[in-house]
Amino acid sequence: MSGPREHEPALRRKSALVIGVGGLGCPTLMALARSGIGRLVLADDDEVSLSNLHRQLLFDPEDVGKDKAAVASQKLRALDAGLEVELVHSRFLPDNALELARSVDLLVEGADNFATKFLTADAAFLTGRPVVHGAGVRWTSTVFAVGHQGRPCYRCLFEDVPTADVGLNCDEAGVMGPVLGLAGALMADLALSCLLGSCDRQGSIFAYDGKLDRLRRVAVTGRSDCPLCGIRPSIVDIDEARYLAPTCAITQGAPPPNSRREDPWR
Amino acid sequence: MEVTVRIPAVLRPLTGGEESVKASGATVAALIDELESKHPGIKGRLLDAKGVQRHVNIYVGEEDIRFLDGLGTELKAGDEVSIVPAIAGGR
Repeated sequence: MSGPREHEPALRRKSALVIGVGGLGCPTLMALARSGIGRLVLADDDEVSLSNLHRQLLFDPEDVGKDKAAVASQKLRALDAGLEVELVHSRFLPDNALELARSVDLLVEGADNFATKFLTADAAFLTGRPVVHGAGVRWTSTVFAVGHQGRPCYRCLFEDVPTADVGLNCDEAGVMGPVLGLAGALMADLALSCLLGSCDRQGSIFAYDGKLDRLRRVAVTGRSDCPLCGIRPSIVDIDEARYLAPTCAITQGAPPPNSRREDPWR
Repeated sequence: MEVTVRIPAVLRPLTGGEESVKASGATVAALIDELESKHPGIKGRLLDAKGVQRHVNIYVGEEDIRFLDGLGTELKAGDEVSIVPAIAGGR
């Protein structure tokens, strides 16, 4: 990729919504800000905690207890004073998803729950916006970009919010910070390529294994029966009931005592 | 018909931490049965009553078995089978 100066005039007119200012959101935001993007919209309502600091690169010890998005905004504007940063002061939820998606050129999602992942996929498709999905657990991460045409989409890959009981949640599984840094850098790179036109690596899932130092790229085939981007789609609007399922799941089995069925967005 | 199966990090507790295991089977279904005999519990993490769980993808080489013959996809010696589950962490 060429340097920011070459791209800046075109990129300056572009905007991205970043869902989750966390271990994936932070490195993605830093790279986008340094590249000269014009506007970033941050959707997160959490506060910085001490346990975040190893992986959430925008935050320092003195930020603990402060509003994540507000601190991130300050740090990002310190990187680029001309950058416009908007704070949503909310999570990305069914009642604000479409409006937020329409307000930007591209969505970036680094959420830790499946409800938000599928909601992001649906909102991006329904508003015709490209989206970059990222996830990380333990030593592995996956990154998947969906281009302007919306296909293949996240639902072609993983179909629907897992309804099976969860066997391991994110808190229990943990994640290695540097693995997220690498994934976030890739997410930013894919986002920039889609914002600037080519989006040439959309439609492939990138899977990195930090323990083996191995990156695989596998092309995803769009499913003709995909409920979102298939021939006869059944998802034509945002219905909150569609996302009510256990959160933070990576496998199934007996539900852990702290699985949060009552609030799929956390 | 021995193949190499790439085990994702979340399933490695079932394989004693091994990231890849050797197993045999004429089809993906037979392969999963053999994996279950060697690594009890793994089948339930991959399949449900309808087949491959919807948040799990299984690849033979670079091909998703959904677009081959599903669990009936035939294997040949030396194939690499990869399991890619949906993950949702990293916040």
